[in-house]
Amino acid sequence: MTSDRARFRWVPVVQGEFRASAEDDVIFSTVLGSCIAACLFDPVARVGGMNHFLLAGETQAERGGDVMYGAYLMELLVNGLMRMGAQRARLEAKLFGGGRIVAGLSDIGANNAAFAERYLSYEGIRLVGRDLGGDKARRLQFAPVGGRARVRYVSDEAARDEVPNLAAGGGDVELF
Amino acid sequence: MSLAEKLRVMVVDDTSVSRALIVDALDQMGVRGVSLAKDGKAALSALMTQPVHLVISDMNMPGLDGLGLLKGLREFKPTSRIAFILVTGSADRTLVERGRAFGLNNLVMKPFTVPALRAAIEQVVGKL
Repeated sequence: MTSDRARFRWVPVVQGEFRASAEDDVIFSTVLGSCIAACLFDPVARVGGMNHFLLAGETQAERGGDVMYGAYLMELLVNGLMRMGAQRARLEAKLFGGGRIVAGLSDIGANNAAFAERYLSYEGIRLVGRDLGGDKARRLQFAPVGGRARVRYVSDEAARDEVPNLAAGGGDVELF
Repeated sequence: MSLAEKLRVMVVDDTSVSRALIVDALDQMGVRGVSLAKDGKAALSALMTQPVHLVISDMNMPGLDGLGLLKGLREFKPTSRIAFILVTGSADRTLVERGRAFGLNNLVMKPFTVPALRAAIEQVVGKL
């Protein structure tokens, strides 16, 4: 892991923001509970990006606002990639997160995941990978150039540590 | 017939979800005379032959952006008086000034709420 640290530039993506890059040594990283991260990339233009959002409205009016907000963050990401040379028709997507971390509450994570899947389907953006739902938090790493993603499941305790700690062991590692 | 029923609106956005959200908001206001365009260029050519009362347009679009569309409409007499509301995620002073110079009627920030969009429309065309 030490060599990885030296070779790559790790860029955290916090809730409510998006990042895009065409640098092949950049890795976007984030920690997801109920939140969703949409990772989009254009394999031809070799640019990609990630956003990170949470739609948590409980009333109908709040949920209406959530859809506006989620759509806005998706659009920011798509527009950001297009400014860097991506073409909408070539975009591919991977979705992560939407877990049910706190038992007993309404399943915000599932609602977030459903929103993200509907958005992509509506926009005709191909979903090529996903790891959604479940009851564990995720630490996500995404290489914007090439679109490789890695998820590590983490305990609630570890998920509170929003700073990516790549030296930390444990948890499953899966490639998407 | 109320103003909402009479109003003819064109919604211009390259993102279909965003178009649908605006159409849905308009529907909640009772505005049903809505046409759609995917970008500034398509909007401009459609409006040349079928003018509307109001254009609600996204700012960032490939090809002709929102301000480019506004400028195009203002330069052609039959479309020069169409009311124009720009929807944008960021409105810095330059954008506002350029918009004003081209005769922009109002501006709505994304993500918008239905009441905010309604207020922006009513400021331009009157009570719906």
